[in-house]
Amino acid sequence: MIRSDKGYFGEFGGRYVPEILLPALTELEEMFEQLRDDPSFWQEYVGLCQEFSGRPTPLTPLRRLSKELGGAQIWLKREDLNHSGAHKVNNVLGQGLLVQRMGKKRVIAETGAGQHGLATAIMAARLGLQATIYMGADDIERQYSNVFWMRQLGSEVVGVETGNRTLKEALDEALRDWAASVEDTHYVLGTACGPAPFPELVSYFQSVISIEMKEQALAQIGRLPDEVVACVGGGSNAMGAFGAFLEDEEVKLVGVEAGGLSLKDGEHSVRMMANTGEPGIAQGYKTLFLQNDDGQLGDTHSIAAGLDYVGVSPILAHLSQTGRVVPEAASDKEVTEAFSLLMKTEGIIPALESSHGLAGGFKRAKTMRPDQHVIINLSGRGDKDIFNIAKAFPQPEWTEFLQREADRARELDAAKKGE
Amino acid sequence: MFPKQNDKLQVMSHAIVGFPSLDANEHAIDGLVASGVKMIELQVPFSDPVADGHTIANACHEALKTGGSVRETLKLCKTVSSKHPDATFILMSYLNPLYRYGLEQLFRDAAAAGFKGMIIPDMPVEEYEQYMPLLDELGLAPILLVTPNTSDERVARIAKSARGMVYVVSRMGVTGKQTQWGDDFKAYVKRIRQHTDLPLSIGFGVRSADDLKDLTGVAEVAAFCSRYIEWQRDLGSDTAAANMKQLLVDSELA
Repeated sequence: MIRSDKGYFGEFGGRYVPEILLPALTELEEMFEQLRDDPSFWQEYVGLCQEFSGRPTPLTPLRRLSKELGGAQIWLKREDLNHSGAHKVNNVLGQGLLVQRMGKKRVIAETGAGQHGLATAIMAARLGLQATIYMGADDIERQYSNVFWMRQLGSEVVGVETGNRTLKEALDEALRDWAASVEDTHYVLGTACGPAPFPELVSYFQSVISIEMKEQALAQIGRLPDEVVACVGGGSNAMGAFGAFLEDEEVKLVGVEAGGLSLKDGEHSVRMMANTGEPGIAQGYKTLFLQNDDGQLGDTHSIAAGLDYVGVSPILAHLSQTGRVVPEAASDKEVTEAFSLLMKTEGIIPALESSHGLAGGFKRAKTMRPDQHVIINLSGRGDKDIFNIAKAFPQPEWTEFLQREADRARELDAAKKGE
Repeated sequence: MFPKQNDKLQVMSHAIVGFPSLDANEHAIDGLVASGVKMIELQVPFSDPVADGHTIANACHEALKTGGSVRETLKLCKTVSSKHPDATFILMSYLNPLYRYGLEQLFRDAAAAGFKGMIIPDMPVEEYEQYMPLLDELGLAPILLVTPNTSDERVARIAKSARGMVYVVSRMGVTGKQTQWGDDFKAYVKRIRQHTDLPLSIGFGVRSADDLKDLTGVAEVAAFCSRYIEWQRDLGSDTAAANMKQLLVDSELA
């Protein structure tokens, strides 16, 4: 795995936080430095992932789809089969081990699509911790089923009403909470962003994905893949999928960002391609941010709440500048097409976030030879997207069902009030 | 200019450039100065002000819509610092807008505009150290923050680069909520005094005349910011200035 130079990856990374947060970050960094090279800690972590989340997740060949596209052989790394339905739980279980060692009793988290919030709520329930999850008010509307489950699991979900009301604002609000609560609260940052040591720490836990992927490729393909493709929001699933391959120069690493509606300002979340993100320092770290000339962070859009973020992992920003990671983008339209294609030819329901990886990977596979192999990291499953998918593929019977269900819920509420 | 150690407490207040509008800023600052405030922070609005509570964060979002920016902040300072030569203007900003402007150029332009100091809550002392010769040459004081959980070793490092005054964050958390000024707080101030001869500015949670009375004799400056912005937001700049005047009378600082 990649190692930072005192928290920096090339020019990116660092720790630009209000003074109040420094002691907690230093404590976390010291603990991480002690544990990261301890094989028994890694064993403890992998063991927990196995007994609680079903790891290792399989590497699934897409035989029918590969044939239909007529290019390279496509494989999926099935992070959607994790408990909670996404790769997010890997990082959360790892940070749970740290929380136990620190003896803190409360955790907070930011969440976009709700997958990280859900994973944190699960971990908190399992370890008996109090949890508060910050989520943009617009994202709550987009991902209500995850909000429902977080609350059922006993977590407090706080809607963030400021600014663009998405992931960026949720992260700001989590940092504000942490400034007040840092002495007894751990901030379970959900992606490979934020102040050091988070980018490195989250990538370390997520690297379990590529470590397994490499072993599985050698066993099932007989060699390393030609390309590994992952969607990039903050960058944690991409860092997880790329981590163990960074030294294997023959394996091309492709990060697919959210092309949204268009590449006009405010209509996408592409940060690593030319003329998009620019170096900036905000939310505790230096990376490529979408921003204007005055250094104000920009508005973003994606059909997938989990990719709707203004910055990107400083590790990926660095690797995209060195050329090791190739940035690509998939538009909302390409994403829904890829989503549909996977579902209908392979019987797998992908998350809209992960469908960006699919769209980018399918496009590349088509141009490759049948003796070549592409692994796409399927970071999460799509059940949570049922309402969004229903909008993309309208069905009158679904709308009618929602109406009946709403009526029933109202009747139930009224009956309860009448009691 | 900055007070000296043991000078009587004075109030530092606040303007967010572009809030409620660029036109209103100058008039509001005139009102603050006429009320007896001699030290004013001019805050560059930022999209993601993580050390600020909702009052200032929401005002920042408003200010961005009306055109608040680094350039407008420099322009405003130039106007008000020549109009009010006895007042001290302090640049308050998050790092990114200044970083985008170019830090070295920004420092030069800020000094030229009449700023005497600056508060950048997400710029750690390590980042300041390389610029200290330039800042000393320009007479632009980095006002560094210390917090209750800052270790002695780190307070010493911060004190070395601090100029003008040290900003003592009164409690854990963000701006805009009440603070208790008990024995723990006084012990904390005493701890910071051991590391510096600079005057201390107390910030976060200074919201009433009682707070100012409690801080009289404890520190040289008290930052009265979020409450003032609430007045400005709810009552308008003129009433906010009148309230400020009354506040200074009530706290026996007039």
